[in-house]
Amino acid sequence: MNPGILGNAVEMLPQLQGYAYPNERTLQPLWSVLIVVYPYITGLVAGAFIMASLVRVLNVKALEPIYRLALLTALAFMLCATLPLLFHLGHPERCYEIILTPHFTSPMAMFGFVYAWYLMAVLLLELWFDYRRDFVEWSQTQSGLRGLLYRAFTLGVVDISEPALRLDARLGRIISIVGIPSAFLLHGYVGFIFGSIKANPWWGNVLMPIIFILSAVVSGMALCVFAYLFLCWARRVTADMRCLDLMAAFLFYALVMEAAIEGLDWLHRLYSAEEGIDVLRSLAASKLFYTLLIGQALMGTLVPLLLLGSLQLVRKWVSDLNRRRVYFSCSSLILLGVLAMRWNVVIGGQLFSKSLRGFMSYKMEFAGHEGWWLSLALLALPFFILTVLIKYFLAPDLPTIENVVPGAMSRSHSPDARL
Amino acid sequence: MKRLLKMPPQITRLVLLTLVIVCIYFGARHLLTPQSFGQYGHYRANALQEIAAREPFWAGRNTCDACHGEIVRKLAAAEHKGLSCETCHGPSKAHVENPEVKLPRLSYGQCVRCHEASPSRPAWLHQITPVKHYTGSVCTECHVPHQPNEVP
Amino acid sequence: MTGSFTRRNALKNLAGMAAGILALPAGRACKAAVRNVFAISQAPPGYDPFKHKWLMALDVDRCIGCGLCVEACKAENSVPDNDFRTWIERYVITRPKAGSGESRGDTFVDSPNGGMGGFKPSLIPRDDILKSFFVPKLCNLCENSPCSQVCPVGATFESPDGVVLVDKNYCIGCGFCIQACPYGCRFMNPTTHTADKCTLCYHRVTRGLRPACVEICPSQARIFGDLNHPIHDDPLQRFIENNKTQGLKAHLGTKPRVRYAGLDEEVR
Repeated sequence: MNPGILGNAVEMLPQLQGYAYPNERTLQPLWSVLIVVYPYITGLVAGAFIMASLVRVLNVKALEPIYRLALLTALAFMLCATLPLLFHLGHPERCYEIILTPHFTSPMAMFGFVYAWYLMAVLLLELWFDYRRDFVEWSQTQSGLRGLLYRAFTLGVVDISEPALRLDARLGRIISIVGIPSAFLLHGYVGFIFGSIKANPWWGNVLMPIIFILSAVVSGMALCVFAYLFLCWARRVTADMRCLDLMAAFLFYALVMEAAIEGLDWLHRLYSAEEGIDVLRSLAASKLFYTLLIGQALMGTLVPLLLLGSLQLVRKWVSDLNRRRVYFSCSSLILLGVLAMRWNVVIGGQLFSKSLRGFMSYKMEFAGHEGWWLSLALLALPFFILTVLIKYFLAPDLPTIENVVPGAMSRSHSPDARL
Repeated sequence: MKRLLKMPPQITRLVLLTLVIVCIYFGARHLLTPQSFGQYGHYRANALQEIAAREPFWAGRNTCDACHGEIVRKLAAAEHKGLSCETCHGPSKAHVENPEVKLPRLSYGQCVRCHEASPSRPAWLHQITPVKHYTGSVCTECHVPHQPNEVP
Repeated sequence: MTGSFTRRNALKNLAGMAAGILALPAGRACKAAVRNVFAISQAPPGYDPFKHKWLMALDVDRCIGCGLCVEACKAENSVPDNDFRTWIERYVITRPKAGSGESRGDTFVDSPNGGMGGFKPSLIPRDDILKSFFVPKLCNLCENSPCSQVCPVGATFESPDGVVLVDKNYCIGCGFCIQACPYGCRFMNPTTHTADKCTLCYHRVTRGLRPACVEICPSQARIFGDLNHPIHDDPLQRFIENNKTQGLKAHLGTKPRVRYAGLDEEVR
């Protein structure tokens, strides 16, 4: 077989328009759907945690009903965060190398430490300080395996006197304060992974970590709104509108910041029109038309901005039910929009050649270890874990005593609002 | 020591747990890091030897000189002096190890491969359009590959 | 509050220490097993990587686009079918439209199967071609290589003798280095599931041989040498002295050491 003929046939295949380096002509992108899912998951973690921090750090009392839900959501997603990476690696059995011999010039090497720090020193620790008293109570009142579970979680510390609880509250607050920059680090380093790649003009950009952090905050807040509304509906409980309205307000302002920075990114690119501008403009307008312009910009940003923004102005005249509907649809749109944003960054950056002369097309597969099924399963898994966590740690049948210690977390008095 | 023990139990438990985790980490690091790691830089120094241990495939021009010195000298005096023997004759390691092993016959395709005219090829190269230049299949009718300026 | 220093706690601590001591032999056995995995294999004895500095240079005006170097590399290094450690690009620059006032028309680049088997005649009519040439590509042996900078575990690195290598027994296959290389010279090996790239035929140069592509090139388009030990009438030294050279994508700051002579601005 004459290799020359094969060579020309390859050039004429629709997978390639223009010129791409021979090594770029793969059937699947190197960083595929799994790498879209990973920043999405860590973004949700960071955002949900920020929402919870608003309660502890800024003492936003109205948001207390969702404090524990936000933290548990963050935990559920955090536990699944490493899975997409493990499935993606060529040698997952060597994954420990990233912790044992981290190469400190690589942002990816931070992963092991940042993840361990955030999971253990921030999330679990804050949860422990908040739940410690309940663990002690529940270990005595619940029987069987559940009782043992709660006893294990007390770590053997059974002191729930006033000074101990005051200490819990103070330490919890300190961890929340430390947790906010940690959350930024958890997701910011992912943005930096892309932002540091100067070889790729779609990625290598100083605004990339900031855009990632802001979209993470937005997605996490949207997830809290979504989860709260869903849980209220599932338990036939009336949602606390004061809490919801405030969450939506924070979500709106976060979305404004995110839209502003992303707009700045696009404006700067178009204005300075550097070397890759032709291929990037073509990328955004044709290959990424549906996911970028329609999915991310229009449906994921502009529409929620208009809806939530107008609600800020006309809230008084809109009924509770309609407001809930708007919040639900907006948070869903935002969640999908941020997923589209991750797609546009990760896959979009691999759709054009680094020679800036051509585009590649890929066929996404369903099965296989970088396929759709696995990604959908990995996105669904945290929700299952969250259900389990809610059952064990947020169930309405678990007694919680009103906390009368000043300065500590005070539970909302209306039983309806307590999840 | 007493002051330390007077710390609230939450803190002592957490500090103990942290110390245990840190010890496990450093222990694992000591056990599992490859020995040659860090010798020359942030990588396994043994990797250099492992990569260099691969068996070469092409024999290289200098090995032909040992037995075919005549031809190599003729080649060096003419236009094809930059060519390696294996460029035309193909991989010859088997022949070097056992001279009984003969190399495959050369064909017209080999000459045309380099000498076919193309607008992309530089002007210093002697180029021909095969159909116009010669309709046969044996370039050696008129050309001596080792000494291109000579005629057979 | 009573301290936690009770008899119970003391006994717990002692038990812990005893368990640790008993685990030591198991730990040592583990360590020995792990060391075996990373055992030293046979390599050219007496080669000191600190004594050499290898470099390849490319003369674009000498490349005839025969593609023999691509085939030689594939054979030497068992490179998988759709991947390339080195490849040839053909640039065809057309004449500008009459009266347009431009110095050149459009540029068309192709590399059918990396140039393996040579190039079929271009579909662009000869009369439309302003100029055309071939450019061999390979790892640029960067001084500030972005690929080794971003490797999270230390599996790819710059060797003391100036070659960027991949330790395929340590690579976790994350693909960060492949994304970070601006020249497209890296790929994910489908068999080893690790990153792979031109090694400058490290296994040849450490034995005093030349890389396969240099060996097979019929037109001296590829020039190779040791900057620390130039031979008599060293081709590399001659090339550097006699030509104005440049590296690819210099604006990115990777400091590519591979020197090109005769490059056109259209070559990226």
